Order: sequence, then C-alpha cells, then structure tokens
Amino acid sequence: MSYPPIATQRRSTGIPTGRLAVWWVLASEVVIFGGLLASYLMFRIGHPEWADAAVHTNTWIGAFNTFVLLTSSFTAVLGHQAAERGEGKLAARYLIYTILGAATFVGVKSYEWWYEISHGYTITTNNFWSFYYTAAGLHAAHVIAGAVIMGYIARDAAKNVNLHRVELIGIYWHFVDVVWIFLFPLLYIAK
Amino acid sequence: MAENIEQGGHGGDQGHGGHGGHGAEHGHGDHGHHINYKKIYLVLLVLLVISVAGPFLGIFWVTLLTAFGIAIVKATLVVQNFMHLKIERQIAKWVLAASLLLLFLFFAGVAPDVMKHDGAGWENLAAKAVVDAGIDSGEEHGEEGEEHDEEAEPEPEPVVAFAPDQAYSQICSTCHGAGGRGDGAGAAALDPKPADFTLAEFWETRTDADLVKVIREGGASVGKSAQMAPWGALYDEEQAQQIVDYIRNTFVQGG
Repeated sequence: MSYPPIATQRRSTGIPTGRLAVWWVLASEVVIFGGLLASYLMFRIGHPEWADAAVHTNTWIGAFNTFVLLTSSFTAVLGHQAAERGEGKLAARYLIYTILGAATFVGVKSYEWWYEISHGYTITTNNFWSFYYTAAGLHAAHVIAGAVIMGYIARDAAKNVNLHRVELIGIYWHFVDVVWIFLFPLLYIAK
Repeated sequence: MAENIEQGGHGGDQGHGGHGGHGAEHGHGDHGHHINYKKIYLVLLVLLVISVAGPFLGIFWVTLLTAFGIAIVKATLVVQNFMHLKIERQIAKWVLAASLLLLFLFFAGVAPDVMKHDGAGWENLAAKAVVDAGIDSGEEHGEEGEEHDEEAEPEPEPVVAFAPDQAYSQICSTCHGAGGRGDGAGAAALDPKPADFTLAEFWETRTDADLVKVIREGGASVGKSAQMAPWGALYDEEQAQQIVDYIRNTFVQGG
C-alpha cells in the first residue's frame, strides 16, 4: 500500500488537513441548522398558537430517537478510540454499530412520519408542521449521508486503511447528534 | 509522521493538556485517551431522562430549564468530550466561534421583527390576526384539551361566518344582479334570463321550500333552467332559507 506524499498537516494550524476540513464543514452546518432553528424559535415565541400544533408530536418517539443517537455517538467515539490504537477491525465493528443506530433512527422516524401524515399532519398543514418536517427532514438527510460515508470508512478501517478517517466521520456524527439534542426539546418537549 | 508533531498549546481549560500530546502510536489525533467515554455516555442518558421528566412537574420555567438548559449541557458534553473540542487546536474553536457569531447576528437582527407584533409606530396586523385566529380555533377544542394526544384528528378549518347579504353579493348577484332584477353581469349569456326578484309575480308563484330547494339543488330540481347552479355544498337548508328571506326583504317593493 503506497501513497503519494500529500500534506496531511498544516504547519500554520498544527491540525491534520482532514480534520480541519471537517471543522469547516461543521462551521457551515452551524449556520444552516442554526439559522433554521433560530427562525423556528423566534416564530414559536411570536406565535403562541403553535403550541396547539406542537402537542401532537410524540415525545416518547422523540426521546427514544434521542437515546438511539446518543448511543450511536458513544459507539462512534469508541470506534475512534480503537482506531487510535491501530485496531482497525474493532474500529470497523464500532462503526457498524453506529450505522445500525442510524438505521434504527431512520426507521423510527419513518414510522413516526407515516403515522403523522396518515393522520393529516403534513408539511402544508400549518407553519409549525412546515418547520417540523423541514428541520427533522434536513437532519434525517444528514443521518443517512453520514451512515453511507461511515460504511465506506468502515470497509477501509477493517483493512487497517485510512484509520484517521474514523475520527473524522465521528466528529461529523457527533455534530448530527448535537443538532438532534436541540431539535428534541424544540419539537417534542416545548408544548 | 507529520501528525506526530507535538500537540502542545491545548487550551488550559481541560486539565488533560499535560497528557494530550503523548503516546499516540499512529498519529490519528493523539488525544482522548484520558476521557472516560462510558461515564460521559451515562451522564448523557441521565440528562435525557431528566429532560423528558421535566414537563411532568407542570411548572413552566422548570420545563424550560430541563428542556433547553439540559440540551445545552448535553451538547457541551458531546462537543467537548466526543468531538474532543476541549483538546483541539485553537483554530477549530475560532472557526466554530465565527459561525456562531454570524448566527447570533442573524438572530439579533431578525428576531425583534418576528417575535414582536408591534412597536413604536408599527403594528403587524397580519401576524396578530393569525395569532387570534389560531388561539380562537384552539379554544373551540378546549373541552377535549386534556385528552390531547397523538390520536387527535387535525383541527378543522375555521368555519367562515355566514351572512346572507354577503352570500348574495358574492354568489347570487353575478347573474341575478346587485338590485335583484336578474340583470347581473352573467345574465347576458343566459337564456332563459335569471329570475327578477323585484316582481310580485315571482313570489306569488313560488313557496319558500321551492326556493330553498332551487338554491341548494339547482334550477333543474324544480323543472326550471339548469343554468341556476346548485349551491348545497356551500349552504345548508337553514342558510338557504336566510338567503331567501334576505332577497325577499331587500328586493320586493311592498310585496
């Protein structure tokens, strides 16, 4: 296995290039999700009648999915720990656990949405539901994208290749977790 | 390996700085050995339980605290320990801080207009109307308020208040005319011509029941022109009767 020499470290920042790139991605995500959530927050405060719509979200499903994402973050960081020790196979196994968490999350969310849509709550019902489907949908897209990328990284890691990427996908994954940590009280608890 | 460049200069806020730079064999970000991930995970789960339990106390500011206060604590734990931001180089913190600053600028600039519906010299009538309409329709469902759960059907559209004069001017006058003479804008194309409500003869040859039937089921239902359309989808019998009364009282002179 030979690679051309590439700059893996920026002298001026003292940070591996890939990791710096992930931080930049997350910085842009902060504005994307943050803008969406901030807009939701200000409309929610300005429109007390949204509480009538918010009572219909299912707190237990939201709490269960929070549990799933927290757990998947835990397995992702254990994968990172294994990769640091050079145990690629173990790291890959933890990434697979994380992907299973992502699949569970998306499965539960599909059921939740199916139930809500079949009861007449759609993205056009009112502004609360518009925000609900937009924010949770954008988040779910990030979960799916992260799981797919994690699959590629796990395949490499099992062969002890590109182990540093285990940390990179982990950082992204924890960010997706953090977004949900804020979505959960905003959409499911504040009623 | 380039990544094994010494990792000094971690912020002093973490207490791990003394160890952070040592012992990495593979250079994949040589930190994190001293964070007890399992403990962090368990704390996160406990916090989750508290945030779900908070609203059961039914105290507004407690819910606010257990929901959003705990969200901030959870997010901080994940960011600092799982994403290792607390032992990351300064540049990453500055990048994120710049983003957050932009976000707060956006919020501070927009929030006053969105969150408030009036101020010095301005009033957002549209937003106020939406709030009033939303709260009114919510109150209609007040009795079933305690039963609020996922089973509840979506609230129906608020019913537009019925007024016979408005019904006449919006629907009937198109053909029957604003003055009830059967000379509305749509009448020119019609044969036979729409009924003239000012004629005593019109009222002498029809009962109220006939007229209600025509309004709801159309002219063809009583053997008259099918060009008189049925409006039963808009008006129930009682409303149709009100329209009949309105027309009689408004257009018949001494009838």
